[in-house]
Amino acid sequence: MRAGDLIRETGSALDSNRGRSLLTVLGIVIGIAAVIAMTALIDGVKYALVGQLGLNRARLVYINCWTQYGSVTANDLERWERDLPEYEFITGTAYGWGEMTVGANSSNGQIMGTYPEFFDAMGINLVEGRFYTEREVEKGSLVIVIDETTARTLFGASGPYVDRTIKLGNYEFEVIGVTEASQMTSNTSYMPLPTLNTRINNYESMDQILGYAREDVDPDELAEKTDAYLRKTYDIDEEEGYGYVYVFTMASVTRQLDSTMLSFQLLMTAVASISLVVGGIGIMNMMLTNVTERIREIGLRKALGARAGDITKQFLLESIALCVAGGAIGILAGYGGAWALAGVASGLAGIEGIAPVITPGAVGMATGICVGIGIVFGYYPARRAAKLDPVESLRYQ
Amino acid sequence: MALPVIDIHGIHRIYETEAGLTHALRGVSLTVDRGEFLAIMGPSGSGKSTLMNILGCLDTPTSGSYRLEGLEVSSLDDDDLAEIRATRLGFVFQSFNLLPRATVLRNVMLPLIYSDTPRAEREWRAWKALKAVDLPEEYYEHKSNELSGGQMQRVAIARALVNDPALILADEPTGNLDSATSEMVLQTFARMRDRGKTIVLITHDPKVAAWADRTVHIRDGKLLTDEQERAFTASRERKGATS
Ligand SMILES: Nc1ncnc2c1ncn2[C@@H]1O[C@H](COP(=O)(O)OP(=O)(O)O)[C@@H](O)[C@H]1O
Ligand SMILES: [Mg+2]
Repeated sequence: MRAGDLIRETGSALDSNRGRSLLTVLGIVIGIAAVIAMTALIDGVKYALVGQLGLNRARLVYINCWTQYGSVTANDLERWERDLPEYEFITGTAYGWGEMTVGANSSNGQIMGTYPEFFDAMGINLVEGRFYTEREVEKGSLVIVIDETTARTLFGASGPYVDRTIKLGNYEFEVIGVTEASQMTSNTSYMPLPTLNTRINNYESMDQILGYAREDVDPDELAEKTDAYLRKTYDIDEEEGYGYVYVFTMASVTRQLDSTMLSFQLLMTAVASISLVVGGIGIMNMMLTNVTERIREIGLRKALGARAGDITKQFLLESIALCVAGGAIGILAGYGGAWALAGVASGLAGIEGIAPVITPGAVGMATGICVGIGIVFGYYPARRAAKLDPVESLRYQ
Repeated sequence: MALPVIDIHGIHRIYETEAGLTHALRGVSLTVDRGEFLAIMGPSGSGKSTLMNILGCLDTPTSGSYRLEGLEVSSLDDDDLAEIRATRLGFVFQSFNLLPRATVLRNVMLPLIYSDTPRAEREWRAWKALKAVDLPEEYYEHKSNELSGGQMQRVAIARALVNDPALILADEPTGNLDSATSEMVLQTFARMRDRGKTIVLITHDPKVAAWADRTVHIRDGKLLTDEQERAFTASRERKGATS
């Protein structure tokens, strides 16, 4: 029997009891929907992470260090860079807060004091203007980089915003750049670190230090090394209250997120497995009914020369086709379901704007599962059909 | 001389059931030549269908030999028997056994799937077979369950012809038809015989058997010739008269 004939025979057999077939595959639909919703969400979360964090951030090492003598300084960072050559650079940041005003408009927001390298490391993009230079940092210039949202609040909807002035505390700052508004960075402005310390905060501090690992360096190993180095260099003893050190990488944060998602994944896998097994039993039941109803047809086919193998293949293909059809509906339902769950997942993962992602891999996997179920649960009915005695079957009423 | 189409010798068929053994065929021997139209007649339970199933390679004898066109088939396995059914045999059943939702044409083409006939050849073969049974062309695309009984049986005969088999086997082909329609179907068989087909037809009806070239009788699993049958009937009448 040829493959083409097999497919045509299967097609017309399925066509003749479409209604019942649809009901039977419900379990498969639910199971596959769960599988697809799960993978679409997890892929969506990963995609959102990569999109929002930027791949660069995988190389970031976050260093929090407070010595017995107070905050670390720019001089300390220069020393670390010398002692830890695995870093491309180490840059300090400090946080401040202020109210910016332009005429009658005002905006409250976080202000970060940084060095120019910071923008590179964080993958922050400009829509207008430029970042500050090394020289402006050294001089403590009164320059500021604001984000698009803040710019609109202060200056109205139409740009350009560069070269305008903002009043902040007792000083007027010149806007030199505008950053892309994104969920991660909205309502944050940037100025040179010394400017922030001297003009806004009025004290020396370095709240967050960022190290940028060289390309071929494992950031996690480097983080450990940094931790040990700092403890030794500054004689830090947290229990005695002699300062503290906390070093972590973005990669480790991502991994932690992965483990949160694992529990979600386990739950969905359980739901999926149960409905797939129930669905498979449904398929088996329907195929057994099918075989009984078509005993005479089976007898006829055998009399006309069908081999046991031909009958097995025909019924097996029918059950596979049923499962795959159910799977196709399940993929659509799962994608819809993933959108419905995207909000919940956003909360769970702490990332906004998760859009479910369907990959060819996920579709391939779902199809594979359907074919597998079709074979596993269709095999027994198909063999039963194939083993029927043609004489008995033709006589069957 | 050409080999006979059917050459069976000393066939026994014993059914094993919970109720015990049924000896359905007891040493049946029979030869059917190419182009012959043979009727096998016998009362219900005499073993007609059992013999027919063995001739049709749907069942194998408990003992004895069966040569189909010279090929010994009594010891073949299931797949080989399936292949013989696909290529050398055509069946006509009492209850037609058409696929109800399929068109006439698809029903007639069904055996070609299992004989691996190239797709290009199938349609014209089916047409040729349907022409041979005189079914009007307008019915070819009809669903088979939209036809009358006589038309259905002619479609079934076309299906039996489509592979150009060595032997056509018909088990009570007119059993479900009224006498006028039966006559038409039997005419179709007679025409097949005129074209050189070998036909074995099973019936319990002497009017049907009369269409055949030759009739053998079966009683309690044994074959009788016409003369033996007459002698048997006569002796039974005598017994009936004396008792
Ligand atoms: N599958 C079977 N199992 C057991 N006994 C059978 C079977 N088929 C037929 N028989 C018995 O064999 C005998 C002949 O049956 P059958 O060939 O069907 O006769 P016919 O077709 O002439 O009516 C009967 O006694 C019947 O009960
Ligand atoms: Mg019978």
